[in-house]
Amino acid sequence: MSRFIARALATAALIAATPLFAATDDPVIAPPTAADWAAIAKLPDWSGTWIPDVHNQVAQITTNPTPWKPEVQKQVDYWTTEEHEGRPRGLLVDCLPHGMPSLMLITHNAQEFLFTPGRVTLLGESDGNRLRRIWTDGRAMPADPDPSFHGYSVGHWEGDTLVVETKGILPQVFLATGEAVGIPTGGDTVIHERIHLIEPDTLADDLVIEAPHILTRAWETRRLFHRTRKRSFEIVEGVCRQGDFEPTTDKWGNPTYTLTRQQDGNVLPPSDKPTPDR
Amino acid sequence: MLRKSVIALALVSAVAVVGQASAHHSFAMFDPAKVVTLQGKVKEFRWVNPHVSLFVDVAGPAGQSGVWAVELTSPGNLTRLGWTRQLLKSGDRVSVEINPLRDGQHGGGFRKVTLLDSGQVLQANLINIEKAAGSH
Repeated sequence: MSRFIARALATAALIAATPLFAATDDPVIAPPTAADWAAIAKLPDWSGTWIPDVHNQVAQITTNPTPWKPEVQKQVDYWTTEEHEGRPRGLLVDCLPHGMPSLMLITHNAQEFLFTPGRVTLLGESDGNRLRRIWTDGRAMPADPDPSFHGYSVGHWEGDTLVVETKGILPQVFLATGEAVGIPTGGDTVIHERIHLIEPDTLADDLVIEAPHILTRAWETRRLFHRTRKRSFEIVEGVCRQGDFEPTTDKWGNPTYTLTRQQDGNVLPPSDKPTPDR
Repeated sequence: MLRKSVIALALVSAVAVVGQASAHHSFAMFDPAKVVTLQGKVKEFRWVNPHVSLFVDVAGPAGQSGVWAVELTSPGNLTRLGWTRQLLKSGDRVSVEINPLRDGQHGGGFRKVTLLDSGQVLQANLINIEKAAGSH
Protein backbone atom coordinates (compact mmCIF):
# COMPACT_ATOMS: atom_id res chain seq x y z
CA MET A 1 0.00 0.00 0.00
CA SER A 2 1.42 3.36 -0.95
CA ARG A 3 1.92 6.00 1.69
CA PHE A 4 -0.61 8.21 -0.17
CA ILE A 5 -3.36 5.58 -0.04
CA ALA A 6 -2.65 4.81 3.61
CA ARG A 7 -2.93 8.50 4.50
CA ALA A 8 -6.20 8.82 2.54
CA LEU A 9 -7.71 5.82 4.31
CA ALA A 10 -6.67 7.18 7.70
CA THR A 11 -8.28 10.53 6.89
CA ALA A 12 -11.49 8.83 5.74
CA ALA A 13 -11.62 6.78 8.95
CA LEU A 14 -11.18 9.93 11.03
CA ILE A 15 -14.02 11.69 9.19
CA ALA A 16 -16.29 8.67 9.59
CA ALA A 17 -15.64 8.56 13.33
CA THR A 18 -16.29 12.27 13.92
CA PRO A 19 -19.78 12.89 15.36
CA LEU A 20 -21.98 15.28 13.40
CA PHE A 21 -22.96 17.26 16.48
CA ALA A 22 -20.98 18.95 19.19
CA ALA A 23 -20.91 17.34 22.64
CA THR A 24 -23.02 20.18 24.04
CA ASP A 25 -25.83 19.31 21.60
CA ASP A 26 -26.09 15.78 22.96
CA PRO A 27 -26.17 16.10 26.73
CA VAL A 28 -25.94 12.99 28.84
CA ILE A 29 -28.92 12.32 31.09
CA ALA A 30 -27.59 11.96 34.63
CA PRO A 31 -28.60 8.77 36.45
CA PRO A 32 -31.47 9.41 38.87
CA THR A 33 -30.54 9.99 42.48
CA ALA A 34 -32.37 8.88 45.60
CA ALA A 35 -33.68 12.44 45.84
CA ASP A 36 -35.09 12.18 42.31
CA TRP A 37 -36.98 9.01 43.24
CA ALA A 38 -38.14 10.59 46.51
CA ALA A 39 -39.53 13.54 44.51
CA ILE A 40 -41.68 11.07 42.54
CA ALA A 41 -43.39 10.07 45.78
CA LYS A 42 -44.53 13.66 46.30
CA LEU A 43 -46.36 13.79 42.98
CA PRO A 44 -50.10 13.10 42.88
CA ASP A 45 -51.01 9.44 42.78
CA TRP A 46 -52.03 8.54 39.22
CA SER A 47 -51.43 4.81 39.61
CA GLY A 48 -54.01 2.26 38.52
CA THR A 49 -55.75 1.91 35.16
CA TRP A 50 -57.60 4.81 33.58
CA ILE A 51 -60.70 4.09 31.50
CA PRO A 52 -61.73 6.84 29.06
CA ASP A 53 -65.24 8.15 29.56
CA VAL A 54 -66.53 7.48 26.04
CA HIS A 55 -70.01 8.83 26.79
CA ASN A 56 -68.43 12.05 27.92
CA GLN A 57 -66.33 12.18 24.74
CA VAL A 58 -69.57 12.23 22.74
CA ALA A 59 -71.15 14.75 25.10
CA GLN A 60 -68.14 17.06 24.83
CA ILE A 61 -68.39 17.15 21.04
CA THR A 62 -72.14 17.72 21.21
CA THR A 63 -71.96 20.60 23.67
CA ASN A 64 -68.65 22.09 22.56
CA PRO A 65 -68.31 21.42 18.83
CA THR A 66 -64.97 21.49 17.07
CA PRO A 67 -64.56 24.94 15.43
CA TRP A 68 -63.90 23.59 11.95
CA LYS A 69 -63.26 26.06 9.14
CA PRO A 70 -66.32 26.23 6.85
CA GLU A 71 -64.62 24.33 4.00
CA VAL A 72 -63.45 21.67 6.46
CA GLN A 73 -66.93 21.41 7.96
CA LYS A 74 -68.12 20.16 4.56
CA GLN A 75 -65.64 17.29 4.77
CA VAL A 76 -66.72 16.52 8.32
CA ASP A 77 -70.36 16.46 7.21
CA TYR A 78 -69.45 14.08 4.37
CA TRP A 79 -67.67 11.58 6.64
CA THR A 80 -70.41 11.88 9.26
CA THR A 81 -73.03 11.02 6.65
CA GLU A 82 -70.91 8.14 5.37
CA GLU A 83 -70.77 6.66 8.87
CA HIS A 84 -74.45 7.31 9.50
CA GLU A 85 -75.33 5.45 6.31
CA GLY A 86 -73.19 2.46 7.27
CA ARG A 87 -70.05 3.22 5.32
CA PRO A 88 -67.67 4.26 8.11
CA ARG A 89 -64.27 5.53 7.20
CA GLY A 90 -61.87 3.49 9.28
CA LEU A 91 -59.43 6.04 10.66
CA LEU A 92 -57.64 3.35 12.65
CA VAL A 93 -58.00 0.16 10.61
CA ASP A 94 -54.53 0.54 9.09
CA CYS A 95 -53.18 0.33 12.64
CA LEU A 96 -51.22 3.54 12.37
CA PRO A 97 -51.35 5.34 15.72
CA HIS A 98 -54.19 7.68 16.69
CA GLY A 99 -51.66 10.49 16.94
CA MET A 100 -52.20 13.63 18.99
CA PRO A 101 -54.60 15.00 19.96
CA SER A 102 -56.90 12.18 18.78
CA LEU A 103 -55.38 9.70 21.22
CA MET A 104 -56.70 11.77 24.12
CA LEU A 105 -59.91 12.80 22.32
CA ILE A 106 -61.37 9.53 21.05
CA THR A 107 -59.54 6.55 22.52
CA HIS A 108 -61.76 3.75 23.80
CA ASN A 109 -58.87 1.98 25.45
CA ALA A 110 -57.47 1.72 28.93
CA GLN A 111 -54.42 3.85 29.76
CA GLU A 112 -51.81 3.97 32.50
CA PHE A 113 -49.35 6.63 33.64
CA LEU A 114 -45.84 5.74 34.69
CA PHE A 115 -43.80 8.25 36.68
CA THR A 116 -40.03 7.96 36.55
CA PRO A 117 -37.43 10.66 37.11
CA GLY A 118 -37.53 13.16 34.28
CA ARG A 119 -40.56 11.85 32.45
CA VAL A 120 -44.19 10.82 32.54
CA THR A 121 -45.05 7.92 30.23
CA LEU A 122 -48.58 7.26 29.02
CA LEU A 123 -49.17 3.70 27.88
CA GLY A 124 -52.33 2.48 26.19
CA GLU A 125 -53.80 -0.93 25.58
CA SER A 126 -55.66 -2.16 22.51
CA ASP A 127 -55.00 -0.67 19.07
CA GLY A 128 -51.29 -1.11 19.56
CA ASN A 129 -50.35 -0.19 23.14
CA ARG A 130 -50.07 3.50 22.30
CA LEU A 131 -47.16 5.37 23.88
CA ARG A 132 -46.57 9.00 24.81
CA ARG A 133 -43.41 10.27 26.49
CA ILE A 134 -43.75 13.59 28.31
CA TRP A 135 -40.36 14.96 29.30
CA THR A 136 -40.40 16.62 32.72
CA ASP A 137 -36.66 17.03 33.19
CA GLY A 138 -36.65 20.73 32.49
CA ARG A 139 -35.59 20.52 28.87
CA ALA A 140 -36.80 23.07 26.37
CA MET A 141 -39.00 22.16 23.43
CA PRO A 142 -36.64 21.43 20.51
CA ALA A 143 -36.71 24.12 17.83
CA ASP A 144 -37.74 21.66 15.11
CA PRO A 145 -38.56 18.21 16.50
CA ASP A 146 -38.75 15.32 14.03
CA PRO A 147 -42.45 14.93 13.18
CA SER A 148 -44.15 11.92 14.74
CA PHE A 149 -47.68 10.70 15.37
CA HIS A 150 -47.82 11.69 19.02
CA GLY A 151 -45.36 14.55 18.70
CA TYR A 152 -42.73 15.80 21.11
CA SER A 153 -44.11 16.57 24.56
CA VAL A 154 -42.47 18.67 27.24
CA GLY A 155 -44.15 19.07 30.60
CA HIS A 156 -43.78 20.43 34.08
CA TRP A 157 -45.74 20.25 37.31
CA GLU A 158 -47.73 23.21 38.61
CA GLY A 159 -48.81 21.87 41.96
CA ASP A 160 -50.74 18.69 41.23
CA THR A 161 -51.34 19.60 37.58
CA LEU A 162 -49.16 18.27 34.78
CA VAL A 163 -48.80 21.04 32.19
CA VAL A 164 -47.80 19.76 28.77
CA GLU A 165 -46.97 21.29 25.42
CA THR A 166 -46.80 19.08 22.33
CA LYS A 167 -45.41 19.98 18.92
CA GLY A 168 -43.82 18.11 16.02
CA ILE A 169 -46.96 16.23 14.94
CA LEU A 170 -47.16 14.77 11.45
CA PRO A 171 -49.51 16.71 9.11
CA GLN A 172 -51.25 13.44 8.18
CA VAL A 173 -52.44 12.90 11.76
CA PHE A 174 -56.20 13.25 12.11
CA LEU A 175 -58.01 15.61 14.39
CA ALA A 176 -60.77 13.09 15.04
CA THR A 177 -64.16 13.35 16.68
CA GLY A 178 -64.85 9.63 16.34
CA GLU A 179 -63.35 6.48 14.86
CA ALA A 180 -64.85 7.30 11.44
CA VAL A 181 -64.76 11.11 11.38
CA GLY A 182 -61.53 13.07 11.35
CA ILE A 183 -59.55 15.51 9.25
CA PRO A 184 -55.76 15.61 8.79
CA THR A 185 -54.40 18.63 10.61
CA GLY A 186 -52.06 19.63 7.80
CA GLY A 187 -49.28 20.38 10.25
CA ASP A 188 -48.33 23.20 12.64
CA THR A 189 -50.43 21.64 15.40
CA VAL A 190 -49.67 22.78 18.94
CA ILE A 191 -51.43 21.17 21.88
CA HIS A 192 -51.52 22.52 25.42
CA GLU A 193 -52.76 20.20 28.16
CA ARG A 194 -53.42 20.53 31.86
CA ILE A 195 -53.91 17.07 33.31
CA HIS A 196 -55.18 16.87 36.87
CA LEU A 197 -57.45 14.99 39.24
CA ILE A 198 -60.88 16.55 39.69
CA GLU A 199 -62.10 13.76 41.96
CA PRO A 200 -60.12 11.04 43.76
CA ASP A 201 -60.60 8.64 40.83
CA THR A 202 -61.38 11.00 37.96
CA LEU A 203 -58.67 12.58 35.85
CA ALA A 204 -59.37 15.53 33.56
CA ASP A 205 -57.30 16.42 30.53
CA ASP A 206 -58.03 20.05 29.65
CA LEU A 207 -56.79 20.55 26.11
CA VAL A 208 -56.25 23.63 24.00
CA ILE A 209 -55.73 22.50 20.41
CA GLU A 210 -54.19 24.81 17.85
CA ALA A 211 -54.63 23.41 14.35
CA PRO A 212 -54.51 26.55 12.21
CA HIS A 213 -55.04 24.83 8.85
CA ILE A 214 -58.42 23.34 9.78
CA LEU A 215 -59.78 25.26 12.79
CA THR A 216 -61.04 28.83 12.97
CA ARG A 217 -59.61 29.22 16.48
CA ALA A 218 -57.94 27.21 19.21
CA TRP A 219 -60.35 24.55 20.49
CA GLU A 220 -60.63 24.16 24.23
CA THR A 221 -62.07 20.84 25.28
CA ARG A 222 -61.92 18.38 28.17
CA ARG A 223 -61.64 14.61 28.33
CA LEU A 224 -62.25 12.46 31.40
CA PHE A 225 -60.68 9.21 32.53
CA HIS A 226 -61.89 7.07 35.43
CA ARG A 227 -59.59 5.01 37.63
CA THR A 228 -59.95 1.45 38.67
CA ARG A 229 -57.51 -0.69 40.58
CA LYS A 230 -59.11 -4.04 39.84
CA ARG A 231 -56.66 -6.64 38.61
CA SER A 232 -58.95 -7.45 35.67
CA PHE A 233 -58.32 -3.90 34.43
CA GLU A 234 -54.54 -4.19 34.34
CA ILE A 235 -53.17 -3.18 30.96
CA VAL A 236 -52.49 -6.14 28.68
CA GLU A 237 -50.77 -6.52 25.33
CA GLY A 238 -52.69 -4.89 22.51
CA VAL A 239 -51.04 -5.78 19.21
CA CYS A 240 -53.10 -3.89 16.66
CA ARG A 241 -52.54 -6.14 13.63
CA GLN A 242 -52.91 -9.48 15.39
CA GLY A 243 -56.48 -9.70 14.18
CA ASP A 244 -55.33 -9.42 10.58
CA PHE A 245 -53.94 -12.94 10.87
CA GLU A 246 -55.17 -16.40 11.73
CA PRO A 247 -53.16 -19.34 13.04
CA THR A 248 -51.81 -21.94 10.65
CA THR A 249 -48.79 -24.21 10.41
CA ASP A 250 -45.82 -24.07 8.08
CA LYS A 251 -44.60 -27.02 6.02
CA TRP A 252 -42.66 -28.33 9.01
CA GLY A 253 -45.67 -28.18 11.27
CA ASN A 254 -44.57 -25.11 13.23
CA PRO A 255 -47.33 -22.83 14.47
CA THR A 256 -47.36 -19.61 12.46
CA TYR A 257 -49.73 -17.01 11.01
CA THR A 258 -51.37 -16.35 7.69
CA LEU A 259 -53.48 -13.38 6.62
CA THR A 260 -57.14 -13.78 7.47
CA ARG A 261 -60.10 -12.71 5.36
CA GLN A 262 -61.45 -9.34 6.40
CA GLN A 263 -63.06 -6.15 5.23
CA ASP A 264 -62.78 -2.69 6.71
CA GLY A 265 -60.97 -4.13 9.70
CA ASN A 266 -63.48 -6.80 10.67
CA VAL A 267 -63.02 -10.49 10.02
CA LEU A 268 -65.19 -12.43 7.59
CA PRO A 269 -65.89 -16.13 7.30
CA PRO A 270 -63.84 -18.16 4.84
CA SER A 271 -65.07 -17.78 1.26
CA ASP A 272 -64.02 -18.65 -2.24
CA LYS A 273 -65.56 -15.39 -3.36
CA PRO A 274 -63.38 -12.26 -3.39
CA THR A 275 -64.01 -9.60 -0.79
CA PRO A 276 -66.23 -6.92 -2.37
CA ASP A 277 -64.78 -3.50 -2.89
CA ARG A 278 -66.31 -0.74 -0.87
CA MET B 1 -75.98 22.54 9.56
CA LEU B 2 -73.22 22.29 12.09
CA ARG B 3 -75.63 21.48 14.87
CA LYS B 4 -77.39 18.92 12.70
CA SER B 5 -74.15 17.16 11.83
CA VAL B 6 -73.02 17.12 15.42
CA ILE B 7 -76.29 15.59 16.57
CA ALA B 8 -76.05 12.97 13.83
CA LEU B 9 -72.51 12.17 14.89
CA ALA B 10 -73.59 11.93 18.51
CA LEU B 11 -76.39 9.55 17.63
CA VAL B 12 -74.12 7.33 15.56
CA SER B 13 -71.47 7.31 18.25
CA ALA B 14 -74.00 6.66 20.98
CA VAL B 15 -75.28 3.64 19.11
CA ALA B 16 -71.75 2.35 18.74
CA VAL B 17 -70.97 2.94 22.38
CA VAL B 18 -74.10 1.48 23.89
CA GLY B 19 -74.60 -1.39 21.50
CA GLN B 20 -71.07 -2.66 21.29
CA ALA B 21 -67.71 -2.07 22.83
CA SER B 22 -65.92 -0.66 19.85
CA ALA B 23 -62.32 0.17 19.21
CA HIS B 24 -60.07 0.05 16.18
CA HIS B 25 -62.97 0.92 13.89
CA SER B 26 -66.49 2.22 13.89
CA PHE B 27 -69.21 -0.41 14.10
CA ALA B 28 -71.41 1.42 11.61
CA MET B 29 -70.93 -1.33 9.01
CA PHE B 30 -73.19 -3.42 11.22
CA ASP B 31 -76.90 -2.63 11.06
CA PRO B 32 -78.07 -1.77 14.60
CA ALA B 33 -81.72 -1.86 13.46
CA LYS B 34 -81.51 -5.54 12.57
CA VAL B 35 -81.00 -8.45 14.93
CA VAL B 36 -80.20 -11.89 13.53
CA THR B 37 -80.15 -14.97 15.75
CA LEU B 38 -77.79 -17.71 14.65
CA GLN B 39 -77.99 -21.25 15.97
CA GLY B 40 -75.03 -23.52 15.43
CA LYS B 41 -71.75 -24.81 16.77
CA VAL B 42 -68.67 -22.83 17.66
CA LYS B 43 -66.08 -23.37 14.95
CA GLU B 44 -63.43 -21.13 16.45
CA PHE B 45 -63.17 -18.58 19.24
CA ARG B 46 -60.27 -16.33 18.29
CA TRP B 47 -59.03 -14.47 21.40
CA VAL B 48 -56.94 -11.75 19.74
CA ASN B 49 -56.53 -7.99 19.60
CA PRO B 50 -57.93 -5.65 18.62
CA HIS B 51 -61.18 -7.65 18.36
CA VAL B 52 -62.03 -11.12 19.57
CA SER B 53 -63.95 -13.04 16.92
CA LEU B 54 -66.35 -15.95 17.14
CA PHE B 55 -66.87 -18.22 14.16
CA VAL B 56 -70.15 -20.12 14.23
CA ASP B 57 -71.04 -22.96 11.89
CA VAL B 58 -74.75 -22.56 11.17
CA ALA B 59 -76.69 -25.49 9.68
CA GLY B 60 -79.69 -23.48 8.49
CA PRO B 61 -82.20 -22.11 7.60
CA ALA B 62 -81.62 -21.44 3.93
CA GLY B 63 -79.60 -18.29 3.43
CA GLN B 64 -78.06 -18.58 6.87
CA SER B 65 -76.21 -21.86 6.51
CA GLY B 66 -72.43 -21.72 6.57
CA VAL B 67 -69.83 -20.12 8.77
CA TRP B 68 -70.53 -16.69 10.27
CA ALA B 69 -67.86 -14.37 11.70
CA VAL B 70 -68.99 -12.44 14.75
CA GLU B 71 -66.92 -9.57 16.07
CA LEU B 72 -66.56 -8.68 19.74
CA THR B 73 -64.48 -6.19 21.70
CA SER B 74 -60.85 -6.67 22.79
CA PRO B 75 -59.55 -9.46 25.05
CA GLY B 76 -58.77 -6.85 27.71
CA ASN B 77 -62.31 -5.50 27.73
CA LEU B 78 -63.84 -8.99 27.73
CA THR B 79 -61.63 -9.98 30.66
CA ARG B 80 -63.07 -7.03 32.58
CA LEU B 81 -66.54 -8.40 31.94
CA GLY B 82 -65.62 -11.83 33.30
CA TRP B 83 -64.91 -13.58 30.00
CA THR B 84 -61.95 -15.90 29.45
CA ARG B 85 -60.49 -17.40 26.30
CA GLN B 86 -61.72 -20.82 27.47
CA LEU B 87 -65.33 -19.68 27.81
CA LEU B 88 -66.35 -20.82 24.33
CA LYS B 89 -64.91 -24.00 22.85
CA SER B 90 -65.01 -25.51 19.43
CA GLY B 91 -68.12 -27.66 19.14
CA ASP B 92 -70.16 -25.80 21.80
CA ARG B 93 -73.81 -25.48 20.76
CA VAL B 94 -74.73 -21.80 20.83
CA SER B 95 -77.39 -19.29 19.94
CA VAL B 96 -75.83 -15.96 18.98
CA GLU B 97 -77.57 -12.61 18.53
CA ILE B 98 -75.81 -10.25 16.16
CA ASN B 99 -76.28 -7.00 14.28
CA PRO B 100 -75.53 -8.22 10.76
CA LEU B 101 -73.23 -6.64 8.22
CA ARG B 102 -75.26 -4.27 6.09
CA ASP B 103 -73.92 -5.76 2.83
CA GLY B 104 -75.37 -9.21 3.51
CA GLN B 105 -72.14 -11.09 4.06
CA HIS B 106 -72.12 -13.67 6.85
CA GLY B 107 -70.73 -11.49 9.58
CA GLY B 108 -71.93 -9.22 12.32
CA GLY B 109 -71.38 -7.34 15.53
CA PHE B 110 -71.89 -9.36 18.71
CA ARG B 111 -74.89 -8.74 20.96
CA LYS B 112 -75.39 -11.87 23.05
CA VAL B 113 -74.55 -15.56 23.11
CA THR B 114 -76.43 -18.35 24.89
CA LEU B 115 -74.65 -21.62 25.53
CA LEU B 116 -77.45 -24.03 24.74
CA ASP B 117 -76.20 -26.91 26.87
CA SER B 118 -75.85 -24.87 30.07
CA GLY B 119 -78.24 -21.98 29.44
CA GLN B 120 -75.48 -19.50 30.31
CA VAL B 121 -75.98 -16.10 28.65
CA LEU B 122 -72.99 -13.86 27.91
CA GLN B 123 -72.99 -10.22 26.88
CA ALA B 124 -70.23 -7.67 26.26
CA ASN B 125 -71.39 -4.08 26.50
CA LEU B 126 -68.94 -1.24 26.91
CA ILE B 127 -71.36 0.48 29.23
CA ASN B 128 -70.78 -2.28 31.78
CA ILE B 129 -67.02 -1.83 31.56
CA GLU B 130 -67.42 1.88 32.22
CA LYS B 131 -69.73 1.10 35.13
CA ALA B 132 -67.16 -1.32 36.53
CA ALA B 133 -64.57 1.45 36.29
CA GLY B 134 -66.84 3.77 38.24
CA SER B 135 -67.82 6.29 35.58
CA HIS B 136 -71.55 5.73 35.91
